[in-house]
Amino acid sequence: MTNWFAGIGQAMSGLDAARYGLDVVSQNIENADTAGYTRQTIQQAAVVTPPLSGIYTSRTAQADLGGVTVASTDRSDDPVLDARVRTEHGVGASMDTSASTLNMLQGVLGEPSSTGLSAQLSAFWTSWGSVANAPDSSGARTVVLQTAQTVAGTLQSLSGSIANVATQTSASLDSDVSQANSAATQLATLNGQIAIGNAVGQNVNSLLDQRDQLLDTLSKLVGGVATIGANGAATVTVGGQALVSGGSTAALSVDASHQVSVGGTAVALTGGSAAARVDLLTNTIPGYQAQLDNVANTLVAQGNAIQSAGYDLAGNTGAPLFSGTGAAGITVALTDPSGIAASATPGGNLDGSNALRASQAGSSTTGADAVFASLVGAMGSASALANQQQSTQDAVVSNVDALHASTSGVNYDEEVSNMLTYQHAFSASSRVLTTIDEMLDTLINHTGVVGRA
Amino acid sequence: MTTMRVTVGSLAYSGLAAIQSTSSTLADLQARLSSGNQILQPSDNPSGTVRAMSLRSEMARNDQYATNADDALAWLSTADTTYSQTVSVLQQARTLVLQGLNTGTNDATANAAVAQQINGLRSSLIALANTSYNGRPIFGGTTAGGAAYDSTGAYVGDTGAVTRMVGPNMTVPVSGNGPAVFGSGSSDVFAMLSSIASTMTTNPAALSGSLSDLDAAISRVSDAQAGEGATYQQVQNAQTAQTSASTSLKTQLSSIVDVDTAQMAIDVTTANTAYQAALQTTASVRQLSLLDFLK
Repeated sequence: MTNWFAGIGQAMSGLDAARYGLDVVSQNIENADTAGYTRQTIQQAAVVTPPLSGIYTSRTAQADLGGVTVASTDRSDDPVLDARVRTEHGVGASMDTSASTLNMLQGVLGEPSSTGLSAQLSAFWTSWGSVANAPDSSGARTVVLQTAQTVAGTLQSLSGSIANVATQTSASLDSDVSQANSAATQLATLNGQIAIGNAVGQNVNSLLDQRDQLLDTLSKLVGGVATIGANGAATVTVGGQALVSGGSTAALSVDASHQVSVGGTAVALTGGSAAARVDLLTNTIPGYQAQLDNVANTLVAQGNAIQSAGYDLAGNTGAPLFSGTGAAGITVALTDPSGIAASATPGGNLDGSNALRASQAGSSTTGADAVFASLVGAMGSASALANQQQSTQDAVVSNVDALHASTSGVNYDEEVSNMLTYQHAFSASSRVLTTIDEMLDTLINHTGVVGRA
Repeated sequence: MTTMRVTVGSLAYSGLAAIQSTSSTLADLQARLSSGNQILQPSDNPSGTVRAMSLRSEMARNDQYATNADDALAWLSTADTTYSQTVSVLQQARTLVLQGLNTGTNDATANAAVAQQINGLRSSLIALANTSYNGRPIFGGTTAGGAAYDSTGAYVGDTGAVTRMVGPNMTVPVSGNGPAVFGSGSSDVFAMLSSIASTMTTNPAALSGSLSDLDAAISRVSDAQAGEGATYQQVQNAQTAQTSASTSLKTQLSSIVDVDTAQMAIDVTTANTAYQAALQTTASVRQLSLLDFLK
């Protein structure tokens, strides 16, 4: 048999559940625009007290009804989708970094234009044509030396600019690593708080939101792969090595040769901006730098071969035009315009046929022009491919982001509709309480008064 | 759930993504349109970039051919005038020799005067043989000296040839070869005229053989002039070819690097419309919620 006053307690639990429901609605609405916030919902459950056997068995049909309770406050998240979002963010960050760095590199070249290295090489070779026409003109000879200076200067500055991109990329890699270390430390602290909170039955939803944001950060930076434990704490591995495990972290570091290590063990990064930067620093940029050096070395060989095949104005075998190796080291060695070997025969004549040959050197398929053109082509193709991959990945990322927002985000209509539900529930419970109150009033104050005046 | 939940975040994502995508298309088109360049960086068209670089260097070489051809024509015109004047001088000498033959040994004074005239012609011939263009003797080969012949009529030039490249793999000689034009060694025209002048004063009748020598000398110069004329023609043809090559190269380059303004204008209008539409929908869609209808 139920207690006469049990209804009051039940109505009280209804009021309480409705009020808590409104609290959660309020929390959702306030945090609708909070980055990383996951919508929360309450699970209500009816409370039924099982009849106590052996005391009253005659009226078991009227089981004791205990009202309503809030069983749990859930986060509207989908762990599988969360993991997919992290993976795609890691890949996306890697591709964004590759594409933007490659764009920076190809921007350094300044091609195609009528003023870039290609045009300067053309001007250099063409200047030999003027010497061929007038081997006695010191003006024409001076132009050869000046255009050679321009070409050498541009090669040096291109080499310097590529080295600058490498320096910037290396600094960004260092920053990725230190940010990842700081995120790992924060995550380890959170792991501890989440484990304790879960153990004592506290609501840890906002801690879980923070945890997920850190996991996302680690995936974007270093391609950290997360596994969520039963107690809500996350384990993160980078390149197969544990970076965060429970409350402990391993130190992430990068050495001078751009090798990333976790806790002293060298790892190969598989995602995140750091992976792209390591690849750029160890393969792409040194490759371009080597190709640019090849342009310079080819030019040195071409220019000096032309000089040694001819004779200068005084009739002597031409002295080397260029010296140095690599794009950073190339310099013009010849300073005297009359030293230009325009003649193909000795004796100090005004033959210009060696200069004429030089003027045609720009069309050589193995010359500096061709080597530079293939460098520009290679950079352009690599950059175009990276841009293409980036925009494809962008589409994937916005797709999973949209799915994630759809699953975990807040919808005002939904919240307002819940708000109305809880408001009505509150009113209804209040009415139940009022009704019980009236019934008790009738029982207490109006019973047994038959015949009273 | 059958329909996708639309949340504050997902609305913001899709709206922002649409706005950013359309506005970046618009920015890219504007950069192309304002620079007039179809290719702003190599990745826009890697093969086109390489082709444009090669076309530009081909154009530079082609311009060099044009300069070379102009220079070649100037050398050849100078030679042409010199050849004509040389023939005329040699013909005057022939007339004088004929005159000497007719006069015979009777009039020593007249013969001496003719001999003096012939010596004068010899001097003008040496001057003609030293004709120079731009400071360089055109019959002196590649000599660094200022003259092809010294005052005695001895050749002081070298055996080299001045050439000009007027087209791809097309090199033409623009200098005359002194010994080939004026004869070499003891048989050159200067020695011949000296000997004619001295024979004139001693025994004019012995000069009958000199007429054929002079005829041979004249025909040598005429042959050289004919050869020069043919070269002149060749250079002019090369110039025509160069001009059309230049036009073709410019057209090819333009088709690769220049924007198609008409197409671009349409593209910009389309992109602009898409951008405005994205802005407008984002602005209007996010205005309403259930809250607006509750009292």
